[in-house]
Amino acid sequence: MITHTHPTLPEFDYIRPETLVEASEFLAQHSNEACPFMGGTDIFNRMRDGILAPKFLVDVKNLDGTNNLVFNPDAGLTLGAAVNMNRVIASPEVRIHYPLLVEACQSVASYQLRTRTTIVGNICNASPAGDAIGACLVLDGNLHIHGTSGLRKELLSTFFVEPGKTKLKPGDIVTGISFPLPPRGCVGKYIKLGRNKLSDLSIVGVTVLGSHEPNLLSGFHFRIVLASVAPIPLVAIEAETHLSQHTVTLESLRQAAFLASEASAPIDDVRGSARYRKLMVRNLTEIALIEVWKKLQK
Amino acid sequence: MGYHEINLTINGGPEQVRVTSNMTLMRMLRESLALTGTKNGCSAGECGACTVLLNGEPVNSCMVLAVECDGAKVITVEGLASDQQLSPIQEAMIHVGGVQCGFCTPGMLITSRALLDRNPNPSEEEISEALVGNLCRCTGYIRIIDSIKVAARDKAATT
Amino acid sequence: MIKTDTQKTSSPVGESKPRIDAREKVTGAALYADDIQFGNKLLHARIKRSPHPHAMIKKIDVTKALALPGVKAVVTGEDFPGYIGLYLKDRHIFCRDRVRYVGDPVAGVAAINPEIAEQAVNLIEVEYEVLEPVFDPEYGASPKAPLLHPDLGEYTVASFILPQPGSNISNHFKIRKGDVTSAWMKCKAVIERKYRIPHIQHVPIEPHVAIAKVEESGEATLWDSSQSPFAQRDLIAETLGITQSEMRVIAPLVGGGFGGKAGVSMESLAVAIATKVKGYPVKLLLTREEEFFTAFVRQGLVAYFKMGCDNNGQLLAMENTFYWDGGAYTEYGVNITRAAGYSCTGPYEVANVKTDSYCIYTNHPVGGPMRGFGMPEMHAGLEQCIDELALEIGMDAVEFRRRNCVKADSILATGGKMHPTGLSECLEKAAEAIDWGWKAPPSAPNKRRGKGLALMWKAPAMPGNAGSSAWIELAEDGMLTLGVGCQDMGQGAFTVAAQMAAAAFGVPYESVRLATPVDTRFSPYEWQTVASRITWSTGNAIIHAAHDARRQVLDLVAKAWDETPQDLDIVNGMVVSFRSEREIPVKNLAVAGLPKADDTGWMGGPIIGRGSFMPAYVTGLDPDTGQGEHAVVHFTTGAQAIELEVDLDTGKIDILKGVAAFDVGRAINPDMVKAQMEGGLIQGISSALFECLQLKDGIVQNPSFVDYRIATSADIPKSVQSIIVEVPQDDGPWGARGIGEHSMVPTIPAIANAIYDAIGIRFEGPPFTAEKVYLAMLEAGIVKG
Repeated sequence: MITHTHPTLPEFDYIRPETLVEASEFLAQHSNEACPFMGGTDIFNRMRDGILAPKFLVDVKNLDGTNNLVFNPDAGLTLGAAVNMNRVIASPEVRIHYPLLVEACQSVASYQLRTRTTIVGNICNASPAGDAIGACLVLDGNLHIHGTSGLRKELLSTFFVEPGKTKLKPGDIVTGISFPLPPRGCVGKYIKLGRNKLSDLSIVGVTVLGSHEPNLLSGFHFRIVLASVAPIPLVAIEAETHLSQHTVTLESLRQAAFLASEASAPIDDVRGSARYRKLMVRNLTEIALIEVWKKLQK
Repeated sequence: MGYHEINLTINGGPEQVRVTSNMTLMRMLRESLALTGTKNGCSAGECGACTVLLNGEPVNSCMVLAVECDGAKVITVEGLASDQQLSPIQEAMIHVGGVQCGFCTPGMLITSRALLDRNPNPSEEEISEALVGNLCRCTGYIRIIDSIKVAARDKAATT
Repeated sequence: MIKTDTQKTSSPVGESKPRIDAREKVTGAALYADDIQFGNKLLHARIKRSPHPHAMIKKIDVTKALALPGVKAVVTGEDFPGYIGLYLKDRHIFCRDRVRYVGDPVAGVAAINPEIAEQAVNLIEVEYEVLEPVFDPEYGASPKAPLLHPDLGEYTVASFILPQPGSNISNHFKIRKGDVTSAWMKCKAVIERKYRIPHIQHVPIEPHVAIAKVEESGEATLWDSSQSPFAQRDLIAETLGITQSEMRVIAPLVGGGFGGKAGVSMESLAVAIATKVKGYPVKLLLTREEEFFTAFVRQGLVAYFKMGCDNNGQLLAMENTFYWDGGAYTEYGVNITRAAGYSCTGPYEVANVKTDSYCIYTNHPVGGPMRGFGMPEMHAGLEQCIDELALEIGMDAVEFRRRNCVKADSILATGGKMHPTGLSECLEKAAEAIDWGWKAPPSAPNKRRGKGLALMWKAPAMPGNAGSSAWIELAEDGMLTLGVGCQDMGQGAFTVAAQMAAAAFGVPYESVRLATPVDTRFSPYEWQTVASRITWSTGNAIIHAAHDARRQVLDLVAKAWDETPQDLDIVNGMVVSFRSEREIPVKNLAVAGLPKADDTGWMGGPIIGRGSFMPAYVTGLDPDTGQGEHAVVHFTTGAQAIELEVDLDTGKIDILKGVAAFDVGRAINPDMVKAQMEGGLIQGISSALFECLQLKDGIVQNPSFVDYRIATSADIPKSVQSIIVEVPQDDGPWGARGIGEHSMVPTIPAIANAIYDAIGIRFEGPPFTAEKVYLAMLEAGIVKG
C-alpha cells in the first residue's frame, strides 16, 4: 500500500568512485547497504516507496569507458553501461545494424527518462517488463562485468534469476554489453502493449528476430522473447523450435504464436489479467511473426 | 549523511551550492536557489513538470541527484528568454493558447525547446511523441502541439 | 460627432485576447503556493493516516514522535473538537473516535524538514479496533450495513439537503412528477439498465498544498492552492472557533483544480497544526500518491435507469435510482446527489418522472466536487439508454434526440420551464461535423469503425444565494485595477474578467490589471470558483462595478462641462461628448477630481466602483416531489460526437475524431471557450478509456501515475473540432453562460455509443480498457479464443 511513500528521497551517502577497482571493492565491502546506480530511475522510486533503503548509493557512471558506444564492422557492437537510451536511438550504426535495439529503446517511458535510462540498467533491474531485454537476448548480448576478481563476461540468456534478481554478486558492476554482428538480412520486431499509446510499462511485450538459417529444417531461425508474462523475460522455446522444424507458413506461424501463449505464465495484477495477457501473447506474437516473415521474404 | 560542494552553470551563470546526497536537482533549484519555475508534480519521473535541460538534454530533475550535476550546465524555464526577449516557443505558447493553469508549462517549454534544437521541423507525430513525458490536464495538448508547430515555423522564418 | 479617426471602438468582449497571465506562466515567474518563500521559520507537516477503512481509535501514543529532535508539534483529533463541512458538517479535522477510510488523518506533525516529519509520523503508535466496513453504496443504503455515522441526525445540515438519520443515507433527493406507473403502459418501448461508474480523481498537475500560520493573537493566515478562499475562510474559522475576519486566506495561481481544490479538504490540517506552533508557517504538501486518495475523489455511482417512449419516439416516462458512493464524508458530495436528482432526465422533456438519488456513506475515499458535479457519471448511462431506446423503436439516434431534447419552455423534471437554449443547434452541428449517417470503412481488416453522439446539460449547482462581488479602481496612469474573489485555475477567469471590465467601463483590455493574488482581507467576496459560474456571476458583478465607476466619471465630467451624462461616453479610456465633441482622458480625473470653474474649488475624488451580484430567483424544491418553480439559475447545454476504431487484436480504442458543440450564450473569449471544449474532451476521453481508482477492500491499488493512467499527448484524436453556439442567457453578461465543466460531461456515453456502433457491445461502466473490450468481444464471438 503506497501510503508510506516518502515526500523526498530518504537519506543516504553518495559515493563516486574514480575507478572500477575502487567501485567493486566498495560495493563488496558494503554489500548489504550499498547499491550501484546509473540513471537511477528505478532505484530512486524504490527508495521513495520504502522498498529499498541503501546507506550508500554508488555512482558507477563515467568509469573506465562505460560511456563508449563502439561499432566494429567485423566484431559487432559494444555499448558502455552508461550510454543512455536516447544515444542508442540516435546512433547511426545502431540504427543501421541493430534497428531492433532502437525499436525497443524507443518504447521506453519518455524522452526525459531515456536521457537517464540505460540498456544495462534495464537489464540489471531485472524486471520481467524490461523493454530492452528481449532485444538484447535475441541479439545474443554478452554482459561485461567487473567484480572483485576482475573482468568477466556473462551470457545474458542465463543472467536472470527472478524478478529483480540477477546473477550479479556483491562487488559486481556491469561495464557494458556487447553484441556480435547480427545474422545477415535478419529482421526484428518489438511489439509493446501498454494501456496508453506510449510511455506505459508493458502489459505484454513481444520481441521477434527472424533470419535465414540454412542449417535448420525450415531454413529460418526465429527467436521469440516475451516480456511481462513470466517472472523473468521468457524465451518461447517451444515456439522457436516449432518454427525451426516446420516449413514456415501462415499456419505454422500461428501455431508458434499459440505455443508462445501456452508457455507464458502471466499473473493478474493492477495492469491486466493473466487471461488477457495470454491472449495478447498469442495475438501479438502472431502479428510480429507475420510481419517479420513478410520482410524476410523480400 | 554527507554534504557536497558543487559548482555548476545555471542559465548561463555560475553557481556554487552545498547539497546533501539525497537532494535532487529539482529540490536544489527550488529550495536552495529559489528558482521555482521548475515544478514538483510527482517526484517520481512521471509527470515531467520538473523537466530541465541538463547538458543540453531534457531530464526529470526530480530523478537526478544535485551532486551528480557538479560541472554541469543546466537550463531552466527562467533561462529560456534572453534580455526580456521571449523565445519563439514562449511567444507561440502565449498566442496559440497552449497555456491554461500553467503548471505543466515550464516542463513543456523545456521539452519543446530540446525537440526543436534536435529536430527543427518536426512532424505532428514527432511532436506528440516528444511530449509524452509531459502530462497536461487542462489543455488536452492540442494547442501545445500547435504552439510547437508555430514556433518551428517562426524559427525557420527568422534563420 | 465622434472623432473616429483617432479612436478604435472595438469592445474586447467576443475577442480572443491573449491570456492576461500567460507571460508570467511561460517565463516561470508565475507563483503557485509551493513557490512562495517563507524563510527559515518554515516548518513542514506530515500526516499520520489510517491504514484501516473502518475502525475505532483506541489509543494514540505520540511520545516517541515528540521526542524526535526537530519535531515542533504533534497534534491529534483530541485538540480539535469542531465539525467541518460545506453542506453537512460530518467530519472533524483530525479523526477523534473513529476512522472511516484508508488515509483518514489521525495525527499531524510539524518539524523542521519533511524527512524528520515523516520519521516522526512513523513513530506515532495508534491502536485500532477494526470495524466492519461498507464498500458498496447499495449495501450501504440497506438496513444490513453497519452505521458509519451514527450521529447523522445531529449534524448541522443545509436546509435543502435531506439526510436519513439512523442510516448511511446522507441525502435523499426525490422527483415525483406525473404518474410513471400508468405511463409505462402507454410506452411502445421500455429500456431498463444498470450502470456502475467507478471512482476517478482530478489529477491536477499541481498537488494540493497549504501553508498556514497562526499568530499569538489567534489570527490565522492560510496560503493555498484554492478555488475557494472565502469558503475556506468561513469553514475553517467556524471549526476552529474563530471569526471569519480572524481567518485570512491568500490564494495564488492554481495549477489545476477541476473541483478538487474547492471547499475544504486537506487545508484545515495545516491550519490546525499551525495553531500549536504560533508564529511559524507550516507547510503541508501532498505527495502525488496522497493526492490520489486523501484529498477529494469523484464519487462512484450505481445507477438504475428505466425509460420508455411511445411509437413516435416521444419519451413518456423515466424512473431513475442513483446510489452515490459518497465515501467516508459526504459534506460536499450530498449536493452532487441533489444536482443529479434535479437533472435526472438529462436534457430531455419527460412528463412522468420518478427519481431517487441517494448519497451514501461508504468506507471509501472522500467524494467531492469534480468537473461536471455528477453530470458525467449520470450521463454516462443515461445517454446510452437513449441510444438503446431509439434503436428499440427503429429510430435514428440523432432524430430521437431531436424530438425529445429540451427547447425553450420545455417543462423540466422539477416542474419549471426551460429557458431559450441552443441545444437543438448543438445537436445538428455536432451531427453534421461527424458526418452522422455515413459510415467510413475501417482503416484496416483488423479494425471496426463506429460513431456515437451524446447530449448534455448542467446547471451551476450552488445554494440559491451564492454571491459574487467586484471592485474597480482607477489609477493616474489610466490603468484600471479590478478586484475579484474568483480564481483562475487555467480556465481563464482572470482574462475574461479583464475583458468584461474593460468593455463595461470603456478602456482597452490591455489597460486592465487584476488585483491578485486573491486575498480575503482585500479581495471582494466570491462564494467559490466552481460550478462554471464565474463568467456569469462574477461577470455580472464586474459589470455592476464598472457601471458604478462609469457613472461617477460621467457625472463628474458632465458637471464640469455643464452637459448631461447621457451625452457622454468613455471610449478607449477617453471621456467623450457626442454633443460638444470635447474629450478628456479618464486618467486626468482618476484620483484627483476636476477643478471647479474660476478656481473656486474641486469636485469629484478618487473613482472607485463597486458591484455585487446574487441571483434572487432560485426557489426551493419540495422535499417530497422535487418540484419548484425555479430550481436553478440556468442550464448550459451541448453535444459531443465521436468517431473511433476498435482494434480486434487487442481491444484498444483509437479515437479518430471528436467534435463538440456547446451553447455558451456568448463567448467572451472564443479561443478560450474552444480551449475549454478541447481540454474537457481530452479529459473525458481519458476518463472513458483509462481512468479508474482501483479500490479493493477500501484501498486504492493504483495511487500513482504508473498505474493510474491519464491521456498523454499521444492519446489525443487526430481531428478535434469545437463549435460555439450562442443563444444568449437573459441575465448573463453579454448573454454569457459557463463552459468549464460541460465539455467533459457527454464524452463517456458518446464513446460508448460509438463502440456499440462499431462492435455491438455495451459495458456496465467505464473505463473501456483494451482488456475489457477484448474479453467482451471474445465472449460475443467477435474474436476467437
